[in-house]
Amino acid sequence: MYYKDLIKMQRYPHSWCPGCGIGSVLKNTAKVLAGMNLDHTNTIAVSGIGCSGRMAGYLNMDAVHSLHGRALTSAEAIKTVRPQHNVVVLSGDGDLFSIGGNHFLHTARRDPDITVVCNNNEIYGLTAGQYSPTTPKGTYTTTSPKGCKYEPIDIHGILRTMPRYFYARSTVWHVLHMQKCIQEAIQWKGFAFVDVVSDCIEINGRHIGYKKASEMFAMYKEKYKIVRDVEVLGPHDLGVVKKE
Amino acid sequence: MKTLLGGNDAFFQGALRAGANYFAGYPISPTTEILTLAAERAEEQQDFHFLQAEDEIAAAIAVVSASLAGAKAFTATSGPGFSLMQEAISWGYRVEAPTVFFESQRVGPSTGAPTFPAQEDILQAMHGAHGTYYPLAFYPNSPAECYTLAVTAFNAAEEAMQPVIFLCDGYVSHLYEPVDLEALEIPPAVPRSRPPLGTGKRHFTGIAADEEGIPRTGNPQVQEAWVRKVKKRNEEVAKRYPLYEYKERDSDTLLISYGSTSRVVAPLQERFSHFRPIRIFPVLKEELRKACEGYEHIVVLEANDGQYAMLVEHAIGREVEKIPLLGGKISLSRIKEPLKEVLGVELEDVL
Repeated sequence: MYYKDLIKMQRYPHSWCPGCGIGSVLKNTAKVLAGMNLDHTNTIAVSGIGCSGRMAGYLNMDAVHSLHGRALTSAEAIKTVRPQHNVVVLSGDGDLFSIGGNHFLHTARRDPDITVVCNNNEIYGLTAGQYSPTTPKGTYTTTSPKGCKYEPIDIHGILRTMPRYFYARSTVWHVLHMQKCIQEAIQWKGFAFVDVVSDCIEINGRHIGYKKASEMFAMYKEKYKIVRDVEVLGPHDLGVVKKE
Repeated sequence: MKTLLGGNDAFFQGALRAGANYFAGYPISPTTEILTLAAERAEEQQDFHFLQAEDEIAAAIAVVSASLAGAKAFTATSGPGFSLMQEAISWGYRVEAPTVFFESQRVGPSTGAPTFPAQEDILQAMHGAHGTYYPLAFYPNSPAECYTLAVTAFNAAEEAMQPVIFLCDGYVSHLYEPVDLEALEIPPAVPRSRPPLGTGKRHFTGIAADEEGIPRTGNPQVQEAWVRKVKKRNEEVAKRYPLYEYKERDSDTLLISYGSTSRVVAPLQERFSHFRPIRIFPVLKEELRKACEGYEHIVVLEANDGQYAMLVEHAIGREVEKIPLLGGKISLSRIKEPLKEVLGVELEDVL
């Protein structure tokens, strides 16, 4: 199976800005699905709302574009009714952790067998640049003109409070690593969360000192390091942590 | 054989009869019995699914999603929970998800009087959610009717491909009456028509999209065509369920009431004509117009301040008298004063 068979190419050109990390998340998710022979006969995609929430609709399978923050609840219900199918959620940081924060907490606790790929670009892109729950403290956004006052949410830390968890972190520069994380997440029996650090050059990057996406990618390469066999990921560690 | 059945219980049994197999909900008076029954059912039957969600927002999303996934899905709530569900109900209209939302009303606004009945969410059932859509809602007044109407509600949801609101109130929910389920006339359950998720390459989105699920937000004709389509389907399905009760008496007065209020005013129905809408939405315009002809007085008695009365006035094109029963006590004694005021008659004289 070729990954492009899993993408609705007839919908192109897509709705994302040039240089946006979402394309990389979508493409690499499709590559993993293709490699695992997962298609419309055995897989269902779910999204929330936002730029990242548009991803599910580009996959060439039954896709549910649910409501803002509600992708996880939607996915869990779908998995309940269609237990033989893989259910993959593709959404963003604002959707999953802010308006969807309560659902994130409780879905993770109930541990349904679903996979979540989060395009974590630390910003509300579609509404043009407000701080999200993962925006680093001090960052300029349109709603924090003097720098974001709050510490970002610690998703890795929240998941590690669960008796059983799967958390992976990668970036849109480390694409092979991202693919490995997504594949392992799909294979995990339970709630598997892949946190993909991603760029939003137009709405975020340009306002915090990056001229183009490649500069952000270079930053990811420089700043984030792949680690193996650890129980806890440091803030700039990439890898998989899980507990049976 | 007759068994003692409460309104909530009867609705749940009726939902099962209709083929319902997914329930998601959140505890709230006066519908918690349904949540409990669903939990027990899921323990007994592997093909019945249950979720006690973290809130009504999640419950409603789960119900719409389970419907898309192929289940006959429903929930049960009361006013405050129903408010939280409105976003998902709006989504349910857009993605055309057959679902049933049981809403047993209690006194509001806000927390109000949680265990006391009201009929204050009539307009919320009509247009509590955002956007253009066409509601379908039924309202029984007995446990037996909760049972039969549950099947009707699931069938109408399936036929109209939309959420159906099953209105109830605290009295009917907790009213226990002997019911012989075998003796009731039940319509056959309409099977699921749309193939479940995981069988195609469809896109179920809340965005204004074309029939392929491709967003067409810049094209007003696409959205207009969708509105026309669902409006037509809603009207066609509604025509199959012109449900009401009309008792004609030799009187110049027509009383209109529904749900528990219609039970409370039953003794007045010997003296005055009475109209009880069972299908609340779409409003029974023709039926109301016909029933209201020739009466000097038309009096709407309801446990709110004129919500249905307003719809009656709109339907028949004239003003009606209103007797609101507020605060959670729906009783004949409370009708005494307003009856004198509106019709100039003593309650004792008409009983």
